[in-house]
Amino acid sequence: MPENELQPGLLFVVATLLPIASFTILLLWGAIRWALRPYASDNATVKTIFEGLGGAVPGQAPAYVATAAIGLAFLCSFAGFCIFLAEVGEMHELKHKLDHAKLHPGHHDDHDHDKNEKAKHNEQKVDKAKDAKGEEKKKVDAAKQAPRNLQGEYNALKNRWEGAWDWARVFPKSTHDSARGSILQIGFRIDMLAAVMFVMVTFIATLIHLFSIGYMSDELQKEVEDHEVHTAHGHYHRRGRFGRFFMFLSLFCFSMLNLILADNLFQIFVSWELVGICSFLLIGFYFERTSASNAANKAFITNRIGDAGFIIGLLIFWTYFGTFNFQEIFARVRAPEADSHGAIKLGKESAGHKIVRGNLVKKYPDGSASIKVENGVGDVAFIFPRETPGHFDAPRLGREKYAYHDPAPTQYGYIPYWLLIVGGLGIFLGCVGKSAQFPLQVWLPDAMEGPTPVSALIHAATMVAAGVYLVGRCYPLFTVEVLLTIAYVGAITLFVAASIAVVMTDIKKVLAYSTVSQLGYMMLALGVGGWTAGLLHLLTHAFFKALLFLGSGSVIYGCHHQQDMLKMGGLYPKMKITALTMLMGVLAIAGTPFFSGWYSKDEILAGAFGFFMVNKHHFLLFLLPLVTAGITTFYMFRMWFMTFTGKPRDEHVYDHAHESPWPMTVPLILLAILSVGVAWGWPPHEPSHSWLGHQLHHYSQPKTVEFGDLVDDHGHGIPVDVDFVAENRSALENHAIVGFLALGVVGIGLAFALVLYYYGVLDPEDAKEQFPGVHRFLMNKWCFDEFYSAALVRPALQIAHWCRNVDTYAIDGFLNLVGHWTVLTSAWSGRFDRGIIDGSVNLLADVSYAIGSWLRNVQTGYLRSYILFLALAAMGVWILLYAWASALGAP
Amino acid sequence: METDLLMMSLCIFIPSAFALGLLFFPKGTEEYMRWWSLVGTAATFVFSMFVFIDYYAMLQRNQDNTLTPAGIRRADASTQLSARAEAAANVKARSGEPSSDDGLARYPWIGRFGIEYYLGIDGISMAMVLLTTVLFFLSMIASWGIEKHVKGYCMLFLILETGVLGTFFALDFFLFYIFWEVMLLPMYFLIGIWGGPRREYAAIKFFLYTLFGSVFILIALLAFYFTDVQDFAPKETVAAANAAVKGKGTAEIHTFDLVLLAKVGKQGMDWMHLESEAERKKFVQAIVDRREKERNPTSAADVERRLEQAFFSPTFQYVMFLFLFVGFAIKVPIFPFHTWLPDAHVEAPTPISMILAGILLKLGGYGILRIAYPICPWAAHALAYYLCILAMINIIYGAFAAMAQTDFKKLVAYSSISHMGYVLLGIAVWPESNFNNWAWGMNGAMYQMIAHGISSAGMFFCVGVIYDRAHHRNLDNFRGLNEPMPLYGGISALIFFAGLGLPGLCGFVGEFMVILSTWNFSTPDHPHAGKVLAILAALTVVITAAYILWTLQRVYLGTNPAYKDYKDITPRELVCIIPLAILAIVLGILPVLILQWMEPHVTGLVDSLVQLKM
Repeated sequence: MPENELQPGLLFVVATLLPIASFTILLLWGAIRWALRPYASDNATVKTIFEGLGGAVPGQAPAYVATAAIGLAFLCSFAGFCIFLAEVGEMHELKHKLDHAKLHPGHHDDHDHDKNEKAKHNEQKVDKAKDAKGEEKKKVDAAKQAPRNLQGEYNALKNRWEGAWDWARVFPKSTHDSARGSILQIGFRIDMLAAVMFVMVTFIATLIHLFSIGYMSDELQKEVEDHEVHTAHGHYHRRGRFGRFFMFLSLFCFSMLNLILADNLFQIFVSWELVGICSFLLIGFYFERTSASNAANKAFITNRIGDAGFIIGLLIFWTYFGTFNFQEIFARVRAPEADSHGAIKLGKESAGHKIVRGNLVKKYPDGSASIKVENGVGDVAFIFPRETPGHFDAPRLGREKYAYHDPAPTQYGYIPYWLLIVGGLGIFLGCVGKSAQFPLQVWLPDAMEGPTPVSALIHAATMVAAGVYLVGRCYPLFTVEVLLTIAYVGAITLFVAASIAVVMTDIKKVLAYSTVSQLGYMMLALGVGGWTAGLLHLLTHAFFKALLFLGSGSVIYGCHHQQDMLKMGGLYPKMKITALTMLMGVLAIAGTPFFSGWYSKDEILAGAFGFFMVNKHHFLLFLLPLVTAGITTFYMFRMWFMTFTGKPRDEHVYDHAHESPWPMTVPLILLAILSVGVAWGWPPHEPSHSWLGHQLHHYSQPKTVEFGDLVDDHGHGIPVDVDFVAENRSALENHAIVGFLALGVVGIGLAFALVLYYYGVLDPEDAKEQFPGVHRFLMNKWCFDEFYSAALVRPALQIAHWCRNVDTYAIDGFLNLVGHWTVLTSAWSGRFDRGIIDGSVNLLADVSYAIGSWLRNVQTGYLRSYILFLALAAMGVWILLYAWASALGAP
Repeated sequence: METDLLMMSLCIFIPSAFALGLLFFPKGTEEYMRWWSLVGTAATFVFSMFVFIDYYAMLQRNQDNTLTPAGIRRADASTQLSARAEAAANVKARSGEPSSDDGLARYPWIGRFGIEYYLGIDGISMAMVLLTTVLFFLSMIASWGIEKHVKGYCMLFLILETGVLGTFFALDFFLFYIFWEVMLLPMYFLIGIWGGPRREYAAIKFFLYTLFGSVFILIALLAFYFTDVQDFAPKETVAAANAAVKGKGTAEIHTFDLVLLAKVGKQGMDWMHLESEAERKKFVQAIVDRREKERNPTSAADVERRLEQAFFSPTFQYVMFLFLFVGFAIKVPIFPFHTWLPDAHVEAPTPISMILAGILLKLGGYGILRIAYPICPWAAHALAYYLCILAMINIIYGAFAAMAQTDFKKLVAYSSISHMGYVLLGIAVWPESNFNNWAWGMNGAMYQMIAHGISSAGMFFCVGVIYDRAHHRNLDNFRGLNEPMPLYGGISALIFFAGLGLPGLCGFVGEFMVILSTWNFSTPDHPHAGKVLAILAALTVVITAAYILWTLQRVYLGTNPAYKDYKDITPRELVCIIPLAILAIVLGILPVLILQWMEPHVTGLVDSLVQLKM
């Protein structure tokens, strides 16, 4: 690729930057309007400018700016996606050939890594002897010069889709030779997952922008009445804030796209916080409502608990790997497939893409160590060179390997295995917060305080899925222990949330819990090795959940901001488009065959079943999702029946209900079409043949969960699977059984829903009365809020008060005491001054005065009396002298 | 004429000149006095920019061409303060004329005691100087609301600026101390006269606390002075001193020169680390040989005798470091020397709070970086673990204490304490290996000082805006300010988010860099110290988020009919806060704008210190 040719990957960068441009425009626009408003009435010029910017009544223009930006972003991403699709095949094939060449160094002509061999040669002395052999081999390789420079071609293709820029760096002298741990970069790297996510996010965001133009139209008034806020003079009145809504949406879109774009953990963390703050701003959009501002705070603070974990993960990986770049980290933590001698083996198994562990044999004073290589056990894990050091030897089973304390890019190092686990768990904790997983799921239902389009975009389709996305992104970083944790967290979450969704009557809360539950499915899938299944579900879920939320938004809008399903019912004739499109969503989420949700959920259940077959004691990991599939069907149909069928429960609501205008129904229809068909493939009855799933599986799935993909010269598959060989085999074999099982469970769920809520054969109220304790427990959402309040919030406030009191009473008390003492001492010294010192001086003065005045009597003026005194004095002196002399002379 | 001397001196004394000018304003011309003072601070800012341009040009002239891994060039080692000081001495000895483009200016002041008028600039002080001049200018705009004794206020304000700038420019410890004290008095009056109801208590508390610290600094200063440093002084100095005693042996050299003292401190650390007799002999011989070459010969016995001075003993290092540390820690402020800060802030008028939080606290951090660490590295290294703990207490304690406040200003004050903890943490994490991380920590600490200067000044200004309208600061009585004052609410949110450490805003950069560096910290006795610190630091982000969001909720969100008719932020207030807001964003997105010219010298300090341990 010539230097000056534009990379197609930049299309995605442009798509990311468009929303931030829109945000900036809207921000300045709004700020100037705000600044001018108070002066518009005084000054004609100001008034003209103010009116030019829209005046006192909010206009629709901000919505057009934001929608145009995200729409363009969609076009860019779509174009980028198409180009990527055209190139990815070739790229993949080249990579395949390269890997093959590495695995069979003798068979192939193109040995890529001997160019800089000598310059980069940096291995330890222990390996010196082998190196000699390597040198010979290299010569042989060089003789068979490559007719095609595979590596070069591959790099040229790859470079079209990635780029990076320095954000901050330090240059200590000690690291002149390498860039290890001294650069923070921002960059982009497009792979199939990122490309697909881009298209999904921009597409849904565009539709939601469109929908919002209709849904938020109340905000176009000069004065909006907020029915939820009561003041002394009735409902609260405020200015409309149409533009502000779209400004926040734009900021969110930027942050979300930046998160997908990122090629490194640092940039993801930055975006992670930014989407968090957008979520905060949008949940608190109706900030006059106490419930809204509380929910916004809760969301952000709960997320920050996750972020604290995220930071810890970042720190561990940074400290040991010296980089945040995904590809570099993966290269460091997972063994390459081949070294200079071909495929790496640990005993009989391939070591490729494995975390290789070992035990410390000897530790040197500088922190480096000799490590005995073990298979699957050991206290430390190897850190592999992230740049191929020319000729190099992989660790061999049972041998010792020298590892540096602070490995340069071409050196081996080591990391305590437990830290690898902690780091993985830390990153996952971030995902738990963002994706509202157990035990941090509490914020998402409260987040429904935000406007419904926000719930659809942020709290259903995109941001909350970011946690799942990150787990998928960081997959090779996670050890099996971490993955098992992920699976269990997912399993618990999906069940807990679904159980609560059954009793909720607020239409948005039902959807919120359903979102939490579905995110649990994704996490579970990832945890049991179903990488493709989990991320496919992320994509299909995004469409049908956005549809469901927008549908609920349409219902709420049609019912004049009534969200309680107990006040709805029989709305089908009033809003047919909404009802039918929502039905598509319900069918999709329930996992009805040929709807998108079926493809992904079936895969997930199959994965879980495969895992269960291999690890029988983890039966919960299959049982919970299976049962929950039924519960999901039940509560989703419950919602649909309660809203659209039966008799109207509230005449007032029913009478005023109406279908929404076209900006709202068009997105519904488009999303409904995609909710049905987004995962289709050929043949359609095979869930595993979903086109989208295939793309993800084939081009993006980490090698750590792939198997049978590489074929050697004799046509045998080389098992390069690492973590889930048997599980995935079993999943593949038992797919059909699981499919039927799932259908059965879904059928049962549907039957219950029909019986209870459609035909009304049984009264749900009876069930409620039968199990009051269970109902209350579920209504209280498993009492998480109460628990956190008692265990975290109140203790934190208590500590805060202690800290304040330490300051006020201990430190300042002490200081004030010292001050007091000083004053007291000075008072005493004052008294001492006045009493003793001054007193004695005064006394002396008084005495001498008294003596003086007494002596005045002596001064008679008669000469004779003076002579008498003189004589007396002389006698006295003489007597004194005599006494002194005799005293001295005495024996 | 030496340009850098002129520029730096003008920068320091322009405010004082303008303060003198105020004397000629008759009563009743308060408005003109304000404008005059504003022009004064603006002129100072302009001159600080001149200094900066010269400094930047110097870095550009001296780039390290070997260091181009990603096409980025870095300032050469010859721009380090110590290297420049040596070069300057050479140039002066050779030509008799000082060089006018090296960012150093040095003239004898009180020759009898070797006290010099010695100014200099490097990345560390440049950053602080720019922060100072910007913030003083903005605070002057914020001072428009001061009605009482305007002339006195403006004069003290300007004199304060001279004191602060002098402290940042000074490279002579005595000069530094003079400026340090010059700063104290105006601040006392500014709080004590223009403050709130408990202003006298606050002012005296501030004064006594700082004076208490100053005494320790003074002791350290004298203790350093009484050390004979002739073995490490530049050969020109030694030769001159020897010439003065006219051949009666070698003259003792006592100095207040911070650059020289830093060199002595490092040599002392090397010396104290030597264990065997042979190594010590070698060390002494090296000095003897060097002095021989410099034609200031001395005997090995004399050198050894001089190395037995108190300065080269661990105890002295410990004590002096602690003295300096306490002196500077009070300014930072570090727990438990922090309680003057909330009181001073609460009572001080808004612009003075901005100065106090934005700049005066940085003097503490600056002193630690410029004086305590370079001169007493031995103790700094040995005490790193305890310093880290102190820093951590600051971070956590400040955050919790902030959460419990009901006074808006006090809350911001405690958040300052928490955020300044990161500064100390970044400085203190002297690791055993992988010094990249310490470089991140130090740079992070410096960046955090700048970022905090911007965000805390902004936060105090935001509090001031609402105090001017509501005349109270009780957090529980606000609510709902976003609706009547949307612009103010938006800007406040931005500034507070910057304080919260939101990525994309300035507060994040420094904090993140500091936290990055902590995990790697360990000492032989406490191999997991860094891990614990890092985890605690990571958890504190939750507390920080909690108290800042809770504050925003209590002040800006919700409804409150009482404040329905408040006027939004005025143009004058906007002029003051918008630059801060823009800086908060720009520095958050492009840290390279600062790091590019600051990092070489901060990392240079790290390099010069870690060499001692390698």
